[in-house]
Amino acid sequence: MKCSNIVTQMQMLLLSTYFLFSPERRTANMAASGGRTVGSFLWKCGNCCFNFNTVSSNLTRQVLSRQLCVSAVLHRKNLAAAGPEKFSEEFIKKQVEEFNIGKRHLANMMGEDPETFTQGDINRSIAYLFPSGLFDKKAKPLMKHPDEVFPKQRAVQWGADGRPFHFLFYTGKQSYYSLMHDTFTKALAVEKHQDRLRGKDLFTQDAKQISLVGSRWLLKEELEELLVETISEHDYARFIQLMERLLSLPYCSVEEDFVQRYRRQLEIQSSKQQVQPLQYDQHGVAYSTGDGRRKTAMGTVLLRDSGSGSISINGTNYVHYFPVLQDREQLMFPLHFMEVLGRFDMQCSVSGGGHSSQAGALRLAISRAMLSFLSEGQVETMRQAGLLTPDPRIKERKKPGQEGARRKFTWKKR
Amino acid sequence: MAASVTGLLKPWTPRVLLVRWSRYNPYYLEPEPRKEVYHIPETELTPEQKEERELKSVRPIKAATNSVTSSVFNDPVLSKFVNMMMKDGDKIIAKGIITQTLENMKRKQVEKYHKAPEVKKAEIECNPYVIFHQALENCKPVIGLASIQKGGKFYQVPIPLTDNRRRFLAMKWMITECRDNKHRRTLMYEKLSQELLAAFSKEGNVVKRKHELHKMAESNRAYAHYRWW
Repeated sequence: MKCSNIVTQMQMLLLSTYFLFSPERRTANMAASGGRTVGSFLWKCGNCCFNFNTVSSNLTRQVLSRQLCVSAVLHRKNLAAAGPEKFSEEFIKKQVEEFNIGKRHLANMMGEDPETFTQGDINRSIAYLFPSGLFDKKAKPLMKHPDEVFPKQRAVQWGADGRPFHFLFYTGKQSYYSLMHDTFTKALAVEKHQDRLRGKDLFTQDAKQISLVGSRWLLKEELEELLVETISEHDYARFIQLMERLLSLPYCSVEEDFVQRYRRQLEIQSSKQQVQPLQYDQHGVAYSTGDGRRKTAMGTVLLRDSGSGSISINGTNYVHYFPVLQDREQLMFPLHFMEVLGRFDMQCSVSGGGHSSQAGALRLAISRAMLSFLSEGQVETMRQAGLLTPDPRIKERKKPGQEGARRKFTWKKR
Repeated sequence: MAASVTGLLKPWTPRVLLVRWSRYNPYYLEPEPRKEVYHIPETELTPEQKEERELKSVRPIKAATNSVTSSVFNDPVLSKFVNMMMKDGDKIIAKGIITQTLENMKRKQVEKYHKAPEVKKAEIECNPYVIFHQALENCKPVIGLASIQKGGKFYQVPIPLTDNRRRFLAMKWMITECRDNKHRRTLMYEKLSQELLAAFSKEGNVVKRKHELHKMAESNRAYAHYRWW
């Protein structure tokens, strides 16, 4: 009810402003009275609108009730000077509570269990209850945890007397510079440790090194999130340089925990393979299917665990379909690699492309179909042999001003 | 974070089209199609090999090409030679010529073997693959020449060659020699087998050409300091 009041009030406000800005009626009296009415309307609206996180009502009231001839430029400047919106801790806490209660209400509305209601379920329910035909993702209704909606902000950095807490506050990027100082202190500590060992004659070049293989440095965005402040590309590069310098010392394993805090593990690639479960036909023989593509050729394969080694492609024997040795070798590659040459029966169908790309498509299809019969370690070996990656190479396009993809037109001197 | 890492895994076209670029992101690693590498147990790996294995487990791998298999007959040097022989993308004909060459070489060597006295039989090499590799080794130049401009004139300066360049030169000389300098009625496989057998015993035009290059490099020794890399 209150919302509809606000909507009509806003509509009236817009009409009145239009009315006020029309040239024929611009007199001082009209202006003054108009200003007051606008101001009073907006003051009422302002109090209601405060819950929608708009700019503070006082400011809007001052701006609009002050004058009508304020140009748009000044208007913009005043809003910008207010700075990014600050949310206090209690406000965020209240939002979190409201979100949790709202989540439970939503689960009840949808008839699902409030305890196991995930974010995905919330998104689905909101899309169902508020269907939106808008294209812009940011314009669609959303219900997310307040931590994702409100940007992370820092608590006030200075005390009651106005004196900042951190000694690097006036650098502007206190967390970043304090991190750099910490890293350098650690590097000095490692060097001191090394000197002590040298003094006692216990220094060896082959001390245990930190293993860096399965991990990567934090990205710039992740570092910004960690420090809760923005840093430039140059700053990020300097940070990585300093960490690399720390890692170049032989005894850097002393500070391994510190270094690992700024590295993220890379995920194991073989876990990304989708392995279909094995299917059994009416005679109890295991079978699986796979498909593959290469250039324009598409192939499908039905692999059966019957024990002969027959291969039929589009109804014909593979020796007749692929008279070239190289193509037959490509078909045998995955089977020979896993040493299961005579075990499977294959029924393949392939279309498109030339003989080489058809063979490549079938090779990929066979490798994918074989995955259901193999263990994890074998899947990883097949991936490292290059059998499971679809070949992305395609015919390069012809460019304008040239005869082909690379060939240029005949050069004529005149 | 996830966005930038998944961006490395897709087939890409670089924003600025370079002359030598590939559809794979440089993040991808080369595949290893040989079976024996994967049968080495954990205990016998050196630390470098262990690190390489760990790296391979987190990085995406390129697809193996058409001409590569895990079979014992797959020879990377021979594949390179076939590609260099190929004209207009006709690999079937090039591969056919190479197969005929190897067969021809084997026939000649076996004939020689049967005609030789007992003492000499052990020295005659019959394996055509061994002959091919040894002949190519004998044709590889050790040092090459580069044309360097100094003070308005171009000097032929002796420079070291990389392994790939040496192999390329040996193959190129072999092919051009067979195409140009032989009687036109003989077939390519006959010409190649003659030249390879000659190179195997360090005779023939290709080996002569290699020696001439070495002599030129030796004679231009004085300009060696013009090289700055």
